[in-house]
Amino acid sequence: MLENLTEMLKGVLEGCVLEIISRQETYGYEITRRLNALGFTDVVEGTVYTILIRLEKNKLVEITKKPSDMGPPRKFFAINDAGREELRKFWEKWEFVSSKMNELKERKQ
Amino acid sequence: MNFWEKITGSDMTKEMKAFEARAKKLPAEYQTAWEKINANLWPHSDFTGRNLMPILDGVLGLLEEAAADGQNVQEVLGDDIKGFCLALAGIDGAKSYRDKWREQLNNNIAKKLGK
Repeated sequence: MLENLTEMLKGVLEGCVLEIISRQETYGYEITRRLNALGFTDVVEGTVYTILIRLEKNKLVEITKKPSDMGPPRKFFAINDAGREELRKFWEKWEFVSSKMNELKERKQ
Repeated sequence: MNFWEKITGSDMTKEMKAFEARAKKLPAEYQTAWEKINANLWPHSDFTGRNLMPILDGVLGLLEEAAADGQNVQEVLGDDIKGFCLALAGIDGAKSYRDKWREQLNNNIAKKLGK
């Protein structure tokens, strides 16, 4: 629907991915599909991959390797306590930004 | 990694060979993407290139998984391979050659001024 959303999404994509992981242990391809189904059609697996690496580096997720039916074992991601705390902060920040954006939009004149 | 490997980098040569063997098993379009990724990542290598090994290993894993899923490479990486590599190198805090040159220049000037 909307094209070239990627620039705008950049800052929030990490929160989106963390939210998806928080619901259920999952892997890169599935996360990408979820985001695509949500309407973020521009998001590719490579982008999600870089986010996952960052989450891993910042120790916000736990990783398990599980064999898959085809191909190499898949990396599964599950949220940990630090991740949950980060996610809580993310939604707090999001609330702030989105409420301010709406305020700005409605007060036009 | 033992001392000999550290000095000669022979462990990396071995690792690179293993990467290449894995890459060769990928579909042709994935191999092309792999080459592009390599070309874009190496400017972010440290003196030996050792910092890139885990990154390359991870990316190869991603490509292997995606190829096994039957996705085409365009779907996986999009158009912006350069940006993808930049993001990867950025996470690692890898410096580019330019950063290193800048640092060297700054050091040299500081030394001259100090005298």
